[in-house]
Amino acid sequence: MLLLSSGRIEEGDWTAALVESVETRSLQAALVARGIAATEIQSLVMVAVQDGAFATAAGEIERYVFDECIDPPLLPAEQGVAPDVLLAGTARRLDAIAAFSLSPYRDRVMPGRVTEPAGLSAERREIVALADGRRTARDLAFALGRSLHPVTVEIGRMLEDGLLEIAPPATSFRCSHWGLAALRPRTRAEPDVEISLRSSEV
Amino acid sequence: MFVLSGSTFPILKGSELDYDALSAELRKLRENVAGVTDTVIAASDGIPIVADVAKNIDPAHISALAAADLGIARQAAEVIGLGTLSQTVVFGSEGYMAVYAIGRLSLMVVLGDKGLNLGRLLHETRPVIERVGVILSS
Repeated sequence: MLLLSSGRIEEGDWTAALVESVETRSLQAALVARGIAATEIQSLVMVAVQDGAFATAAGEIERYVFDECIDPPLLPAEQGVAPDVLLAGTARRLDAIAAFSLSPYRDRVMPGRVTEPAGLSAERREIVALADGRRTARDLAFALGRSLHPVTVEIGRMLEDGLLEIAPPATSFRCSHWGLAALRPRTRAEPDVEISLRSSEV
Repeated sequence: MFVLSGSTFPILKGSELDYDALSAELRKLRENVAGVTDTVIAASDGIPIVADVAKNIDPAHISALAAADLGIARQAAEVIGLGTLSQTVVFGSEGYMAVYAIGRLSLMVVLGDKGLNLGRLLHETRPVIERVGVILSS
């Protein structure tokens, strides 16, 4: 996603690399053949690993299972990542968002009272434009094509600056039936419904 | 009883459909599955019943597309002998549109972004479809 959203690779090339990697069993080799340096791929993999660990730790884990499956990931970190290094980095990232009391998964944000579009960076303008009160930090990160942690931190700062605010539930969830007359509760499923051609019946 | 000609979903004045219960189901689904962006419950002829969608999404269009999508998938399942259709999913580079059959008379559409965990969605949706089916028919 990061490669695509940053424009480093076109979607067609990405798809072709994926197809090619099924046979060669190396997506990295297919990407290198398309002009992306192995070092660049590996640094993106590290970013993805660290952001993935943060995304997991910032959410709630309902249950987990040990899986015997040892299928390698599409783009493995060649050198591996030491668990203690990953955990320390994740703890730092969690600390960085703790001050904002913002859940990347639960809190949905909308534009705040402070509006200064002229002074806003392009990144902040984009976030304000996408913050429709329905999107969480996680949703915004995907919409922007960026990593979760930096987007969450930026949203936290924008909340502090009054550029964004947490949307009330009435804004986040707008269920509507357009005031239509109630539909008749349907009868339990029957194999085939015969459509009546009569306009009315008693 | 007044039967809307050509519609599979008759309208009766004075009847009560529990829109609040349907809305609560849509809300829970979006809260429980990260990546779900919009949801619509519609009659299988494409008429929307209740929707939780962003401002730029027209529930009438989504319902019509979903009804057509489900109709084709259902026809394919029956002609090929795949049994009763339960769902069909459109995969796009930017996201998903999953359409679930609720009996033969209604459907539920779930739109998701590209980060949606489809397995999680399918897992969470199964009981929702059952409850929505009960609400629609009670």
